[in-house]
Amino acid sequence: MSVQSHELHLLTGSYALDAVTGPELAAFEKHLDRCGPCATEVRGLREAAARLAMATAIAPPQEMRQRVLATAPLTRQLPPPGRNLLPRAGRRRVSPSQAGITGAILALAAAVVFLFAARVTTQHQLDQARASNRAVAAVLAAPDARVESATATVGGTVTAVVSVSQHEAVVSSAGVPVLPATKVYQLWVMSPSGARSAGLLPASHAGTTAPVLASGVRAGDRLGITVEPAGGTAQPTTAAVVVMPVTA
Amino acid sequence: MAGSGQDLALLLTRVARGDQAAFEAVYDQLAGPVYGLARKVLRDPAQSEEIAQEVLLEVWRTASRFDPARGSALAWVMTIAHRRAVDRVRSESATSLREQKVLPGPVTGDDVAELVETALDRQRVRRCLGTLTTVQAEAIKLAYYGGYTYAQTAELLGVALGTVKTRIRDGLIRLRDCMGAGW
Repeated sequence: MSVQSHELHLLTGSYALDAVTGPELAAFEKHLDRCGPCATEVRGLREAAARLAMATAIAPPQEMRQRVLATAPLTRQLPPPGRNLLPRAGRRRVSPSQAGITGAILALAAAVVFLFAARVTTQHQLDQARASNRAVAAVLAAPDARVESATATVGGTVTAVVSVSQHEAVVSSAGVPVLPATKVYQLWVMSPSGARSAGLLPASHAGTTAPVLASGVRAGDRLGITVEPAGGTAQPTTAAVVVMPVTA
Repeated sequence: MAGSGQDLALLLTRVARGDQAAFEAVYDQLAGPVYGLARKVLRDPAQSEEIAQEVLLEVWRTASRFDPARGSALAWVMTIAHRRAVDRVRSESATSLREQKVLPGPVTGDDVAELVETALDRQRVRRCLGTLTTVQAEAIKLAYYGGYTYAQTAELLGVALGTVKTRIRDGLIRLRDCMGAGW
């Protein structure tokens, strides 16, 4: 063992405590790749460090639980390593109960996670983003959540996740043309008794719009999107660019 | 703990498949230590909460990368947690926040957060730390709980770099052997 590698070997403890930095860290990690006993020792020492961590446990803030659990399903998971996935197999493995909403999560995750991770500047904005994520997560997690996807007449895709049992739907879009500042996309819940506004689609980020939650949705209704003057209107004034049925 | 450690590894394989109930169980087992460790290193409750959330979501996101052959699930998660916390500490420039962290030790004063059921863990860690030399124990506490590099630790303890490297390693080996059996 050379003097240098002997010196490096002494770093196993400091490395296990994340106390090695800079060029020395890079050198040590390179050394670890070649030094089996060092890697084994680091593993054992990391176990000891984990015990030190367990001793620090304190109850986290209550709100954190809900926030983390609501955000997880909206966060794309990494596929298993070491396998070159074909493009068609590029989806993560999911349990059957989840398969139905996987597509929706993929479509919505970017938008929602953007919302959550966005550099929101005020506490109010942050609260709103969190509340929105929770509501969206509740719909996505509903046992009867169904995904509807349709191509808009103007181009792009609109995706809705509908839970009839919760009377709610979450709608987002991808690749729909950006409108001039004087126009907006408005979401409607259309029932035999007429159309009711469910709000405006937010401005798109990287081609997708953050989810809009529509309430009071029932089987037999239809979800529609129209182009309206900025600020929206009380009733649709143009033909819908997309209409999606709500089925039980 | 040995039993729940095994469960944790199984839970992580379910989390990797997108199982939300399994993730909830992982959260309930590990949110306390993840948050506690962040508090220990960062002190500031708001930053600690932010880091703890990031860590737990990282566990969800990267569960498929957990490899039981390379260590316990607990060590995997706590390694992520500790790295995140020290990265945050080190990305902060020399601010007053940092200055408050010069003396390591238990979070006190306004820390009203409830202790979870880790009395046994604490007792064991305390006992095992007690078997180390003073320099070994201090160096490990400064590096792990204080988030200091070994060079900073050497400076704080007034000992040579080579000495601190050796003390940390020897002390950690002793801790491992002390805590390993029957944990």
